[in-house]
Amino acid sequence: MALWATAGATGNGKRDGSLGYLVPALLLVVIFFIIPVLMLLLRSVLEPEPGLQNYATLLGSTTYLRIFLNTFIVAAVVTILSVSIGYPVAWLLAIMPEKWSRLVLAIIILSMWTNLLARTYAWMVLLQRTGVINKTLMGLGLIDAPLPLVNNLVGVTIGMTYIMLPFVILPLMGVIRAIDPGILRAAALCGAGRLQCFLRVLLPLSLPGVAAGALMVFVMSLGYFVTPALLGGTSNMMLAELVAQFVQSLVNWGMGGAAALVLLVVTLALYAVQLRYFNPNAAR
Amino acid sequence: MKNRVAIAFLAATVGFAGSAAAQEMVFTSWGGTTQDAQKTYWAESFTTSSGIKVTQDGPTDYGKIKAMVESGNVTWDVVDVEGDYAVQAGNAGLLEKLDFSVIDRSKLDPRFVTDYSVGSFYYSFVIGCNTDAVAECPKTWADLFDTAKFPGKRTFYKWSAPGVVEAALLADGVPADQLYPLDLDRAFKKLDTIKADIIWWDSGAQSQQLLASAEAPFGSFWNGRLTALAETGVSVETSWTNNITAADSLVVPKGAKNKEAAMKFIAAATSGPAQAQFATETGYAPINLEASALMDAELRKTLPDMQAETQVNADMSYWAEHRDEIGTRWYAWQAE
Repeated sequence: MALWATAGATGNGKRDGSLGYLVPALLLVVIFFIIPVLMLLLRSVLEPEPGLQNYATLLGSTTYLRIFLNTFIVAAVVTILSVSIGYPVAWLLAIMPEKWSRLVLAIIILSMWTNLLARTYAWMVLLQRTGVINKTLMGLGLIDAPLPLVNNLVGVTIGMTYIMLPFVILPLMGVIRAIDPGILRAAALCGAGRLQCFLRVLLPLSLPGVAAGALMVFVMSLGYFVTPALLGGTSNMMLAELVAQFVQSLVNWGMGGAAALVLLVVTLALYAVQLRYFNPNAAR
Repeated sequence: MKNRVAIAFLAATVGFAGSAAAQEMVFTSWGGTTQDAQKTYWAESFTTSSGIKVTQDGPTDYGKIKAMVESGNVTWDVVDVEGDYAVQAGNAGLLEKLDFSVIDRSKLDPRFVTDYSVGSFYYSFVIGCNTDAVAECPKTWADLFDTAKFPGKRTFYKWSAPGVVEAALLADGVPADQLYPLDLDRAFKKLDTIKADIIWWDSGAQSQQLLASAEAPFGSFWNGRLTALAETGVSVETSWTNNITAADSLVVPKGAKNKEAAMKFIAAATSGPAQAQFATETGYAPINLEASALMDAELRKTLPDMQAETQVNADMSYWAEHRDEIGTRWYAWQAE
């Protein structure tokens, strides 16, 4: 949430010259973020012996590369689904009468406040072979055998999309609300059809919101642990699970650090790309 | 030299602070029904007899143990760990030597005693089956690996630990007395044949949930979890054929703040009565040689130590030595 708060704050382009006020925040970041990351980096090149062998093992093994690839595919699919489902919801929220939109928003936010584990277990119960979804479908005669909906990629995608949706809906809603309805009316007056209004006016104007939401979801998905661990199987493991395995089960912190750092570097690179090409200020 | 003096001084102060605050200690285990029983029959009765308060924590996390020992801030005093980890961690200098002047070594099952650890309880990996969900239950490891005869999902322990590799080799026809050294190539080849049909359980509670819901109608389980599940009314069949035993151990992380209390706790937890009560409740076998005599005769029949006929003992020292090698290969194979 902090991410779009800062995006909004810099959005008005104000830059205060003095950095003095930033010192406490910077100190916090250095102590609780930068230093631990540096220690992790050190471990990854020092354990079990000095050198880059951890990185060589990690990037030289097809198994680990497949986990990297799988992580990116899952994050991409979840992002695409979240945006496709979240966009209409955000749009609806933006144009709904206030009292209704408040209610819907409250429901969305309430779901975010519910314990993540409880929500993930709920999906486990819903999706399992003897779960409500499979039983209903079988009862209706639509399927003969239960669909494999959990302990695989399907379960991970459903669970993560559900959890990530608010992170797309909230920034998007703000952006769409800020679009002057007069512009859409003007487009319609000039003869644009509904589709054209959407494709050539609303969509381009709301793109910064889409980009912000999509990046947030993508980055969060890359490092997600709980949902893939509970709803996924081992053959479609994600990177965070691999890190946990190295740290907790194999007690090989060098490898764990290396895997975590590769993920961090990729994430930062993506963020840099987003800042460069999809900067909300530049888009306006 | 100066440093050494400083460290000695520091150690002395810490030691002093430790003994002064010895009226409290922390016990860490794996949660669920097992830790509930440990709390009731070990910790609470220990508190009654010694006056030392025991705080429960968990789940056991080997990464955390290492972090605590390295940082010198050890908040766990006694930890329930897997037997092979106990041997390895002892050799790696992560554990305190146990004080056998406090703990009575002569009464304990020697299979599970090292300088750094004693058994906590021992269990068998057995074949469990939900009889409401299937017409016929697998009886042997070979059955469990036979997807033609027994189609459907089966569940196995997710983590690299004694049990699954052995089961695969037994299923492939390796005689029980020729399992070690483990033929990993052969084991993984056998495991490959059922890989698509495996659902992994990563906690005892999850294994019970998978079996009860018939998400996986059969699989390999800790015997105690099946006993507990059967008591809740689920129709469970247990096959003890070639049950594979492994033990949990009690250890004290190096630098534990309440070492003295920890030794007393271990002595109490491994005593005959405490072991007997724990075993009665959980269906896991006691590691105290005198415990069986204190237990109900009918109940003893359901314990792993009465299923010795075709029993296979997982070789803890083999595992301790090859833990990293097998683990690395295991997780890589799982992710393939």
